[in-house]
Amino acid sequence: MPRHAFSSFQVLIRQFKNPIFIILIASAVVAGFFAEPEQSIAILTMIGLSAILGFYNEYKAEKIVQDLRQGVSFKAIATRDGKPSEVDSRLLVPGDLVSLYVGDIVPADIRIVESKDLQTDEATLTGESFPVEKTSDSLGLEHPTPQQLTNYLFMGTVVVNGSGKGVVVSTGKNTELGSISKSLTRPHPETEFQRGVKQYGTMLLTLTVALAVGIFALNAIIGRSLIDALLFSLAVAIGLVPELMPAIVTVSLSQGAGRMSKVRVIVKRLVSIEDFGNMDVLCTDKTGTLTAGKIVLNDYSSIDDEKDPGILSYSLLCNSAVVGDKVAGNPMDVAIWQYAIQKGLQGNVQPYKKVDEISFDYQRRMMSVVVAKDGEFTFITKGAPESVLSKCKYVEVARKEEPMDSSLNLSIHDKFFNLSHLGYRILAIAYKSVEKKNSYSREDESDLTLFGFLIFADPPKKDAHQAIDRLKEMGVDVKILTGDNELVARKICDDLGVPVKRIIAGSELTQLSSAEIKTAVEDATIFARVTPEQKLDLIKALKANGQVVGFMGDGVNDAPALYEADVGISVDTGVDVAKDAADIVLLEKDLLVLANGIGEGRKIFGNTMKYILMGTSSNFGNMFSAAVASVFLPFLPMLPMQILFMNLLYDVSNMTLPTDNVDEEYTKWPKRWDIGFVRKFTLFFGPFSSLYDFLTYGIMLFIFGAYIATPRAASLFQSGWFVESFWTEVLVIFVIRTRRIPFFSSHPGKWLTVLTLSCVAFGTIVPFTLLGDFLGFTALPVEYWVLLILMVATYLLLVDAGKVFFYKICKF
Amino acid sequence: MLNLDLFAWWAISISGGIAFLVLVSVYLYSNSKSKRKESIKTSVDRGRLGKDFVFVWVLVGLLVFYIVSVSIGSAIIFAAGNITVEAILIIYLVKNRREKPEQKQRPRSPVR
Repeated sequence: MPRHAFSSFQVLIRQFKNPIFIILIASAVVAGFFAEPEQSIAILTMIGLSAILGFYNEYKAEKIVQDLRQGVSFKAIATRDGKPSEVDSRLLVPGDLVSLYVGDIVPADIRIVESKDLQTDEATLTGESFPVEKTSDSLGLEHPTPQQLTNYLFMGTVVVNGSGKGVVVSTGKNTELGSISKSLTRPHPETEFQRGVKQYGTMLLTLTVALAVGIFALNAIIGRSLIDALLFSLAVAIGLVPELMPAIVTVSLSQGAGRMSKVRVIVKRLVSIEDFGNMDVLCTDKTGTLTAGKIVLNDYSSIDDEKDPGILSYSLLCNSAVVGDKVAGNPMDVAIWQYAIQKGLQGNVQPYKKVDEISFDYQRRMMSVVVAKDGEFTFITKGAPESVLSKCKYVEVARKEEPMDSSLNLSIHDKFFNLSHLGYRILAIAYKSVEKKNSYSREDESDLTLFGFLIFADPPKKDAHQAIDRLKEMGVDVKILTGDNELVARKICDDLGVPVKRIIAGSELTQLSSAEIKTAVEDATIFARVTPEQKLDLIKALKANGQVVGFMGDGVNDAPALYEADVGISVDTGVDVAKDAADIVLLEKDLLVLANGIGEGRKIFGNTMKYILMGTSSNFGNMFSAAVASVFLPFLPMLPMQILFMNLLYDVSNMTLPTDNVDEEYTKWPKRWDIGFVRKFTLFFGPFSSLYDFLTYGIMLFIFGAYIATPRAASLFQSGWFVESFWTEVLVIFVIRTRRIPFFSSHPGKWLTVLTLSCVAFGTIVPFTLLGDFLGFTALPVEYWVLLILMVATYLLLVDAGKVFFYKICKF
Repeated sequence: MLNLDLFAWWAISISGGIAFLVLVSVYLYSNSKSKRKESIKTSVDRGRLGKDFVFVWVLVGLLVFYIVSVSIGSAIIFAAGNITVEAILIIYLVKNRREKPEQKQRPRSPVR
C-alpha cells in the first residue's frame, strides 16, 4: 500500500491560500507600517488563530488517513518452493500460492485454483450483504465487475465459510482495495462552501483594490498630501476587509460541531458542516447504512402461507450454527437461531436428539440431519429452494401430504421467484420419516416432503423510513448507490418509501459516456452493482451538475465516494477506512440525527451569510460614501484612526453573530452559495447606507454649520458621521438577519442583541470621553441626537421596505 | 447661509446615490422579469409596476424632501418630515407583512 505522504508545512501553507487571508495579511502589514500598530496586531492575531485552527483540523485528519492506510497488515500462508510457510502479507508477490481458511482476511487479489465450500464476506468492498460463493470455475467474461468475479478473492475481504487455494495476481496498490486507497491520497476536494468563500474573497479583493486605488488617486489629484491620501485610502480598504470572517466562520462551525456532538454526530472536517446543511442530494450506500448490514430471518411459512412453528423447529435442528453464549457460524443459520431466541421458541427443539448430519456443500447446496423423538426418526433437509425442490416428491399443503404434481411444482417455483425478486433470500425446508440406521448418506436426500420456506432479508434500520421522510421534507433527494443487486436495492426503496424513477446497473454505466452519466445520474434513483470507481464517477457527475452532494457509506468500497463528496458521512459501525475518509461520523445508529445535523448546518450557513451580507452592504456603503466625501470636502470625512476604531467596534459587535437565531423557514430548504446573489445584495442595499451617510453630511454641513474648514468644524463633522455610520452599520443587522417583514417579527439571539446594543451605547458615548478626545472627536449637540434617532429609524424602515422589493425579485 | 459649491456637491452626491439605487432596482426588476418570462409568458401590468416600485417612489420623495429641508437648514422641518416618512413606511410594511415567508420552490442549483 502506498504511504500517504503529506508535509505539515504544506498543510500550513494551504491555510493561507485564500484571498481573504491575503487581503488581511496585506492590510495588517500596511496598518503596521503606516497606521495603527494595534490594528495590525489585532488582525495578525485573528489570522494566526484561524490558521492554527485550520492547520490543527487538517493535520489531524491527514494523520489519521496516513495511519489507517497502513492498517491492512496481516500474515498469510504461502506455498513457495512447494513448502507452505507463514509470510507477512506485504511480502507476497504475484505468483505466490496462498491457502485460505475460515476467518482469514484475504491478503491480496487472488485467482482461485482450488476451493471447498468457499464463501467470502465482500460487504465492505462491494456492498453485497450476503456471503458470496467462490469457486475456481472459469467465467469467460469480457469486462467483469468485481461482483461478477466469483473465481477471485479480493484483498481485505473475509473468508466466512470453507477453504481455498489461489495464486496471487496483484498485491498492494494494484489490488482493488489498493486502488481505493490510492484515490484517497489526492488532496481533499474543496467543499462548495470553501469555493464560495474564495469567490467572495476574490470579489472583495477586486472591490477593495479598486476603491483604495481610486480614493488615493482622486485625493492626490485634488491636492491632498500623498501621505494623508495613502493613509485614508488604506483605512478605507481595511474598513472593507471582513477581517473577522475567518473567525466568525470558525466559531460558527466549532459551535455547530459542539452542538452536533451532543446528538452524537462527530464532525471531523469543520468546513463540511455548511455543505451538510446545503446538501441537496444524499447518495447512500445500502448495506450497513440504510440497513443494519445483518441478515435476519424475516419470516417463515408453509406453501399455503401458514406460519407453521414446525418449520422453524426443523430449521433449528437442521442448522450448522454453534450455539453457546453467542451464536456463531453461517450467517443464515445464525439468523434462524437469533429469531428463535428473540421469540422464545428455541425450547421447541429440546425433545429432539440429533442422530446424524450430512453437512452442506456447494454441489448439493443443502444440508441434512436425522433427528429422533419418541423413537421416531425424521430426516430433515434445508437448502437452496431449487436444490431441495428437486429432491421432493410430496408437498405439505394444509398439514396434509400432497403429491408434487407439475402444476404445484410450477406454483412453488413462481413463489420462490417472486420472493427472490422482492429482494429476499430464500431457503427451503423438507423432511421425511426414516427408519433407524447406523448412518445416513446423500442418497437419503430423496422422496422428501416440502415443508415450507424461510425468508431472509437485510432489513432497513428502524428509523430509516422516518429519516428518509424528514430528508424529503427538507428538500434533500435520496439516491442509492450499492454494490448489491437491483432487486435488493429496489426492495429497500419500497420499504423506505423512496420513489424509484429509474434503476441503472453498474454494467450499464460502463457503456455510458461522461455526458450521458451526467444526465443519467439525475434521472435514476438506484445505481446497483456499482464499483467503488463508479460510485466516485456518479458523485463527480452530480457535483458537475451543480448539486451539493452528500454520500453516506460504511465500507471500504465507499471510501473514494466519501472522500469526493461535498460531505462524506459514515456510521459508527463502518470500517476504519470509511470513517477516515468521511467528514462526518454518526455515532448513533439513529439516522434521524442526519436531519438534525442538516438543520444545524443550515443555521450555521444562515449566520455566516448574515455576516457576509452585512459586510458587503452597510460596511461597503459606508466606505463608499467616505470615498466620495473625501473628494468634495475640505477635510477628511473621517480620520484613518477613526475609521479603524469604528471597524474594530463593528467587528466586536459581530462576535456573537454565530449564536443568533435563524428563522425556521430559512432552514426549510437547502441553500446555495450564490455569489451572484451577494453581488445583487451589495448593489441594492449598499447605496441605502451611502444615502444616509450623504444625508448626515448635509445635516452636519448645512444644519450644524460644519462646512467651514476649521479643525473644530472638521471634528464636529467627523463625530457626527462616526456616530451615524456606526449606528446604521451595526443596527442594520436586525433588519438584514431576517426575511420577515417587519423585521421585528423575527427574534434575534439574546447575546447578539446584548452585544450589538452595548456596542452602539459605547460608540455613542465615545465622543464625550477622553478616548473620544484622543481619537479627535467632539461632543455633539442635543438636536443632532434627536435628528439621528429619527434618521436611523427611517433608514432601518426603508431597508425593511427594500427587502419587500428585493426578495420579491431575487430568490435565494 | 449655504456654501453653494459644497451644497451643489452634496446635492449631486445624494441625488446620484438615489439615481443609482433606482437604476439598480430597475435592472434587478427587469432581470427577474425576463427570467420569469422564459418560463411563463406574462404581460407587464402597469398597476403592478407602480405597486412593485412603491419604495422607489418613497425614495424619490425622500430625496426631494431631504434636499429641501437641508437647503432651508431647518432641523424641525427635517424631523417632522422624517416622522411622516416613517409613518408611511410602517403602513407599507404592515400591508406587506410576511412573518413566515414560505419558499414554495426548491432553489435552483447554480452550475459549478
